[in-house]
Amino acid sequence: MGDQPILRINALTKRFNEFTALHGIDLNVRDGEFLAIVGPSGSGKTTLIRLLVGMDEPTEGAIWLRDSRIDAVPANKRPTCMVFQSLALFPHRSVGQNIEFPLKLRKVAPATRKARALELLELLRLPASYYDKRIDECSGGEKQRVALARALAFDPEILFFDEPLSALDYRLRKTLEKELKDLHRRTGKTFIYITHSLEEAMVMSDRIAIMKAGRFEQIAPAAEIYARPRSRFVAEFMGEVNLFDMVDGRVPGLRFGPRASNLFVGQTGTLVVRPESVALLAPGEEADVALEGIIESEYLLGSRVQYTVAREGAAPVTVEVLRENAVGGPGAPVVMGFGTSACHLIAPEARDAAA
Amino acid sequence: MRTSRLMGWLLVAYGCAVLAFLYLPLVSVGLASISKARYLTFPIRRYAYDWYGEALASDTVRDLLLVSLKVAGIVTVLSMVIGFLGALAFARYSWRFRKAYQKLILLPIFFPQTVLGLALLMWFNTVGIIPSWKTAVVAHLVWIAPIATLVISIRAYSFDPALEEAARDMGATTWDTLREVTIPLLMPGVISAGLFAFLLSWGNFPLSLFTTGADSTLPEWLYAKMVSGYSPLVPTVGILTVGTSAVLLALGLTAALIFKRARAARNA
Ligand SMILES: Nc1ncnc2c1ncn2[C@@H]1O[C@H](COP(=O)(O)OP(=O)(O)O)[C@@H](O)[C@H]1O
Ligand SMILES: [Mg+2]
Repeated sequence: MGDQPILRINALTKRFNEFTALHGIDLNVRDGEFLAIVGPSGSGKTTLIRLLVGMDEPTEGAIWLRDSRIDAVPANKRPTCMVFQSLALFPHRSVGQNIEFPLKLRKVAPATRKARALELLELLRLPASYYDKRIDECSGGEKQRVALARALAFDPEILFFDEPLSALDYRLRKTLEKELKDLHRRTGKTFIYITHSLEEAMVMSDRIAIMKAGRFEQIAPAAEIYARPRSRFVAEFMGEVNLFDMVDGRVPGLRFGPRASNLFVGQTGTLVVRPESVALLAPGEEADVALEGIIESEYLLGSRVQYTVAREGAAPVTVEVLRENAVGGPGAPVVMGFGTSACHLIAPEARDAAA
Repeated sequence: MRTSRLMGWLLVAYGCAVLAFLYLPLVSVGLASISKARYLTFPIRRYAYDWYGEALASDTVRDLLLVSLKVAGIVTVLSMVIGFLGALAFARYSWRFRKAYQKLILLPIFFPQTVLGLALLMWFNTVGIIPSWKTAVVAHLVWIAPIATLVISIRAYSFDPALEEAARDMGATTWDTLREVTIPLLMPGVISAGLFAFLLSWGNFPLSLFTTGADSTLPEWLYAKMVSGYSPLVPTVGILTVGTSAVLLALGLTAALIFKRARAARNA
């Protein structure tokens, strides 16, 4: 509620001996937001979340929760809670006892505890009979729900997740992604969710923070990151993409029409075009930007077809079209084109800057 | 199919060999304990069970049992406590000298016990402590506490460190975490360490020989009597020794089972 961020991170740095895992990063998280932090493995996601929940201390920088600075507050005194990658369910306790754990620590009466645990089981669509089950009798997805119920029993201000779905199979992951999103809406809590899967981040989050080597590359809603990536890294991380190096308004192998020539005059940077924004041109058809090549290979993607088009003296281009617009197979020469509104120019100085 | 049958026979043969080498000597000691002869002969021609009565009535045997029990009992309890804390330092907490500690703690185990016993005796003498069953407790601990530490450490390594972090994250103090997570999870390891400690102390000869001073444990007495003054009381006491450890082992395992049941019941 309101415009004041629930969490503020200021110039946060974490060093392990000589190795710097986080390079003075900044981040604001809105109350009730679902923020996904995405990055390849080793980019510092876990390190960041451990600082935020208080399991490690930052080397430099500050963490603010609303009006209070919390970076020196120990984990057990912070109103935050984390769902671990391993889930960290207590194997020597039943499902019910696991969920009640944070309440037991607060000396809540057993009857009240149990009532709350049963409520949470219901919220997470687990039968009440699971209350007495042992943890090792639960399936992967059920364990996931128990871990969530336990975290909700704690009733944190911010709920953190460290790749909780990464060990599950595809279908279960999809189901739980939806449930998690739904849970976020129903509880109205702030969720900060780490994943290395961009797809997961896109499905669930309000905003995505892309992380690379201990820095944020870009923090924005999924659609914006997709359409206007700030760097080559982000562009490539967001899936299949064509990148063209532009120097002084020219790209070797690309023919610019008048609109493109005007737009790019004197510009230097990287031109980004998604495969689905590139069309196969019929003879005589015009486009703002045109290029040609010979189809090298073809993949069927359900209702779409993806071509890899080889070009003379330049990197191949990926094109994705609807199946009804498909043209011949490998060996066929094609002319391709895209509009200026479908592409995006990354300025060279933005390449390595942190968000 | 053929190889697996061959394998099966080999396993049976192996099992028999183990039984023969392990238990036949024990059986022969048992037989000797009921022999009527005053000296050690085999095979036994005449049997008598009087030696058991004599053993149970004898003050010497009662004292021996008492000393051995005292030593083994105290060593067990202390090994469990030291082993538990030692395992936390060994396997759970990262601290500055952990690597060195992990190596140092293994040292006494690899020391020949006779040398260890002698070294400790010399040290006790230097410091001016008169050896008794109490110094034997210390000597046993030097050797057994590291073993208990290792046994519990194996258990400590086998559970996810995130469990303790999760507890802390949900508001548990250090003591809450220990009580709610660490101790219950390490308990099976602590119980096996206790059983190990008891059996190792109860049957120990070399360390006791050097460090009990005027007191004597059962194994020491058995050896002394074997060297001079043999009577069928020797194998009788030997069998009683084995019997006691078997009973205690059974008690220990029952305790572990009860602990497990109780936990299951609490969960149910
Ligand atoms: N305790 C630590 N000691 C030394 N280096 C560490 C430690 N924890 C993490 N790192 C390093 O920090 C980097 C980021 O790790 P991590 O935050 O786990 O990445 P991610 O979760 O994004 O995969 C990695 O290179 C890792 O090796
Ligand atoms: Mg990680």
